[in-house]
Order: sequence, then structure tokens, then C-alpha cells
Amino acid sequence: MENSSLWIVLQRMRTPFLVIVTTYTVSIIGMLIIPGLDNSGKIYHMSIFDAFYFITYTATTIGFGEIPYAFTYPQRMWVSFSIYFNVLGWFYGIGSLVALLQDKLFIQELAKNRFKRQIKNLKEKYILVLGYNLITSEIIKKALDSGIRAVVIEKDEAKVHELLLENFTPPVPALNIDAYSPQALEMAGINSIYCKAVVSLFQDDALNTRIALTAKLLNPKVRLAVKSTTQAGVENLQDFGVDIVENPFDIIASQTNKALNHPHLLKLERWIYGSSKLTGSFMRFSPGKYVMCGFGRMGEVIYKILKENGLEIKCIEKDIAKLKYLTDDGKNDVEYVESYDKKALTGVGVEQAKYIIVGTKNDTVNLSIALTAKKLNPNIITIVRENEMEDFSIFKTDKIDHILMPSRILIDKTINAIIRPSADVFVKNLDILSDKDAQSIIKTLLDIDKNPILFELKVTKNESFELFRRLENKTTITLDMLRRSLKDKDHLNNVFVFMILRRSKEIMLPSWEEKLQKDDIVLIGCDEHAKEEIELIANNFHEFEFAYFGKEYSVLKNLFSKA
Amino acid sequence: MNLDKVISGFFIILAMTLNFGFFYGDLADIELHDKYELFIAIVVNVIATVLKLGDRTQMGSVLLATSLVAVIQLIAAASVWTIAINTVGVIDRGLSSIIVSLSGGALLANITSVFLYVGDTLKSRR
Repeated sequence: MENSSLWIVLQRMRTPFLVIVTTYTVSIIGMLIIPGLDNSGKIYHMSIFDAFYFITYTATTIGFGEIPYAFTYPQRMWVSFSIYFNVLGWFYGIGSLVALLQDKLFIQELAKNRFKRQIKNLKEKYILVLGYNLITSEIIKKALDSGIRAVVIEKDEAKVHELLLENFTPPVPALNIDAYSPQALEMAGINSIYCKAVVSLFQDDALNTRIALTAKLLNPKVRLAVKSTTQAGVENLQDFGVDIVENPFDIIASQTNKALNHPHLLKLERWIYGSSKLTGSFMRFSPGKYVMCGFGRMGEVIYKILKENGLEIKCIEKDIAKLKYLTDDGKNDVEYVESYDKKALTGVGVEQAKYIIVGTKNDTVNLSIALTAKKLNPNIITIVRENEMEDFSIFKTDKIDHILMPSRILIDKTINAIIRPSADVFVKNLDILSDKDAQSIIKTLLDIDKNPILFELKVTKNESFELFRRLENKTTITLDMLRRSLKDKDHLNNVFVFMILRRSKEIMLPSWEEKLQKDDIVLIGCDEHAKEEIELIANNFHEFEFAYFGKEYSVLKNLFSKA
Repeated sequence: MNLDKVISGFFIILAMTLNFGFFYGDLADIELHDKYELFIAIVVNVIATVLKLGDRTQMGSVLLATSLVAVIQLIAAASVWTIAINTVGVIDRGLSSIIVSLSGGALLANITSVFLYVGDTLKSRR
């Protein structure tokens, strides 16, 4: 049965109801048996309805008086008894009802019902977020900004309250439940056609995997964004069809590699993720001596990448347990220290180093190491890991050159993959481009606008009506048409096309002569004006006509030409 | 033996027997139908209904539905009687047949209820 709160009420109220029915019956029977006297002094017996009426108003302490005639003393004695008897019954009933309304189980049941109703009435695209914390809260904010709603399932009641206090607009329905179970996912509408993606970014890899499995079983079509911090975990998830697997350390590794060899590719990637702007400085590593503090999961991947590039690197680590599985090569480079102090830093030669990478799990330690290093060697470039996401960052000082933030990377990647799936595919394929390509793309983009818009145009019936219709009529449409200005056909708008995604085949950096096909997804970078015109061309008959033929469709002329 | 089963079985069957006791007799002659028996029948039916509240099984829901039907029919009969006696003053043959046939409808619901209850009990192996 659907509505279980009603059933809880009924079941709990069973005894109170029985008590009330019994007290009423006993009192009514008493009133029927005891004889009264009417006005003329004749003996009479109360009718059943009179007795019921009298007991009803007496039991509820309303008290309209003695009807139909003034009572005799035996009647009054019975009434005094039945008043206490009935009032007790009522109080017991009301007391049980009040206790029930404060019952935790009952309140939870009511909240669940409210949540289900909210989900049922949610008729927009939404993402289902499991667990509410600073990371997912950022994701929710960004999703709401781009017109995608969010639904949250959270185990911790305090965090649900936090979410409510955040006052998201439009509101974010939240479900507080004991476990991230299949029932919870179903309740949150994982089977709904509006549910676009499930986001599970817990610390616990096993939990993420379990949720991913359950979600895929419940709805094989839903997109999943799942975090996994080990290589085996990532492969495992990809095996059963999770679309977006996120390993923040993998991303850091690939970004480090790019920073060394293809800095412009990195810049482009970070712009697509929305992590940084196209203008301004960006992270690039050059050969030299590297020092790294902290040899955890992040330290290990960075070490590997730097070593593969043949660079000199020295690491220090406080936790001896992390140094157990080092290779012979690693043993030379990684050193155990008691604490990350001045002595330890000079021990690995921070004075001669060009870069220092600080990547422990503790933000205060990270900051103090970076500042010490800067003091010992003012020319050193500091790259620091920031773990906690706060509104006010202690890392915003000029002594720190670059910040590595695994949680920020997770947010940017997740939201990008959810809002613009094609952009995620583009980033995955970035490696086939050379650094020079990236450099020229960045230049083109900067010519368009200081901060160009990135958006995807879907050639589907719903999103590009006119384009779709023309393609069905076998009209040949090239990409070039999308950049035509609607004021003058020969004038070109500022448009750059990154990629066409065609039935999971990608055409990277297509030429303007590329022919569009049905169900293509075109990833476009352009300015506000061009975006508006592209959308007009894609949807409006007359605008399309103009962009295609250079003049508007004329009914008169059409008639004559037919004749 | 399960005391819960004894109690609910007792009330379900008592509801039917009392209902039958009131219903039995000439439809048009109110003298043959006792008002106190109707009162007790209503009380016992209400108790039987309350005992079935909150049972979420399929059987529980159907039992609850039949009981509700019986209670509504009996209360309708009692209401007709009360209104008639206080407005018309006497129960003529027409009114009498309305009251008794209403209770007859309740009797059918009660019989259904007892059949279902007995069937459920026979099916259970404990």
C-alpha cells in the first residue's frame, strides 16, 4: 500500500477507539436501564437516541444539561460515574493521537510522503544527488544555475536541516533515510523520465560502487557520476556501464602531465571545466628540480608522472606505513621524516629546487610547509593541495603560486559532464590534439570574446525544430550556415565549433563544410549574440530561410514561380 | 491458540449473529424487530471494524471494507428509525420495511466478512 502514514495512524488508534466505543456503550446502556420521571411524575425510559445524544455531549465535556426531563437521583449518580469514565476514555484517545503525531517514525513517514509528492510534481529535468556536503552543494548550485533541478538523499538528519537552511531556489527536495537503499532511490524517482543523472561522490569507494550497481539495475538508462579513487575501481565501474567515473587523482595526474608537456591543452581543459578563465596565468611545469611533501595517493600519481618525464624529484613523507610498497627506484627518492620542518626541507635540497608540491591531507600543515619553503628559497614555485572547501580560503596569498584542489576538480568535472555531456567527451579526446592546436584554439576563442559561452546544440526535433525538419526533407546543411549573421548573410558571426558528436562517434574540430545530420550534438563556443542567432536559425522557419538563401521566404514569389 | 484471533473472531461472528437476530422476522412489522438489539448490533459492528483497522494485508483491507459497509447500513437503519419516530411519530409498514431491509444489507456484508474470515483461517497452517 502506498500511504503508510494513514495505516500507522489507524493501527495505533485501534485501542483508543475500542476504549471510547466501550465507555460510550456502557454509559448508554446505563442510561437506558435506569428509569426516569417525566414532568407529570410518570416513569419513563430514555430512548436510545436521547441516551446517545446525552452521553455524546457529556463525554466531550460540553454539557447541555439534563434532557428531555430533569434527572432523578439514581440517574444523576450514574451520570456522575459515566462522566469520569467517558472523559478518561476521551483523554486517553486524544493523548494517544498527540503522542502519535510526535512519534519519530510517524513524522518520518509524513516527510517521506511529502517528498514523494514533491518528486511526483517535479516535471523538469533533475539530477539525483546522494549525500549532501560542500562538494555536492556546489554541484547543486551550479546545476540550478543552468536550469537543472536537484533532488537529495541524505542519511544524516543534521545535514538535511543544513540543506533546508540553504534555501535553494527553486527548492531542492531532500529525503532523510537510514540507508542509501534501492527503495530510497526509487522513492527519489530514479525511474522518472525527468531524472537525468545520479551523482554519488562519497569518500567510501565501496558505497559508491554499490550505489552505482543498484542504480544501473533500477534504471539502465540513467547517467551515473560516480567517484572512485583506485584504478581497479574505475575499471570495474566502467565495466558495468557507468558513464562518468571520477578519480580526482587520475585527473590530477593527467593535468600534471599536461602542465609539463601541453600547457595550452591544460588551459583549454580547465576553461571547458569552468575552473579557470582563458586569460591570465596558468599552471605549467618546466624541467628543474622538484620537491614534494606527502606521498599519499596524490603524491604517488604526481611522482609517477614526473618520473616518467625524466625529472629529478625528491619526496618526504611522515607516515612510514605509506612507504612500505616502494620500488627500488622509489626508495632512492622518497625519504621518511619525523615532521615536515625546516630540517626536513633542507635535507631534500629545497634551496636548489625549482618547484615544491605540497600535498598532505592537512591544510594548515600544507600552508606552513609552503611558507617555510618560500622563506628558504624565495624563487621556488609553490603548488599546494587544498582539502577543505571554505568560503574564505587561507590559501589566497601571493606566496602560493598554484592550488590543487581535488574536491574542486570533482565538482567541475561532474557538473560539466551532467550539463554538457559532449564537452566531457571533448575533454576525453583532447589528447589527440597537439599543444599548438590548443594554442590556436585559445587564440580563436579569445578573438570571439574574453569569456566565450560554451554550449551544445542538439539537432533533435525538440531542441532544433527547423534544422531537424529540413534534414528530414533531405536538405543539405553545412556547419557554415550556423555562423551566418541574420542581418547580412555574407557577414560571419563569432562562432567556433569544437566537435560534432554523431552516434557516439566524435568529429573533433570539424571543418565548416561538414554536413549536419539528424541527432548530431554540436559543441559550440561563441558570444552571446551568436548564440541567440544560432538558436533562431535552428528553430525558426524564416530565419533559416534567410541564413540559407540570403533572403526571406516570400509567399507571392513562390506562387508565381509555380505558375 | 491465539487470543487475538479469538477476540476478533468472536466480534466478527457476534456482529453477524446480532445482525441476523434483528433482521429475522416479518419485514413490515416493526414489532418483531427489537430496537435494543439494533443498538447492540451497531456497537458490536463498530468494535469489529476497529479491530480490523491498520491491517495492511489484502485480506485485512477487504475485511475492513465489508465491516464499513455493515456499519454504514446499520447506522442508516437506526437514523431512519430515529428520524421517523420523532417526525412521523409511528413506524408504519413502509418505514419498517426500509429499516429492516437496510439491516438485511448489513447482514449480507457481515456474512461475506465471516466467510472471508473463516476462509483465511482455514488457509493458515498455524
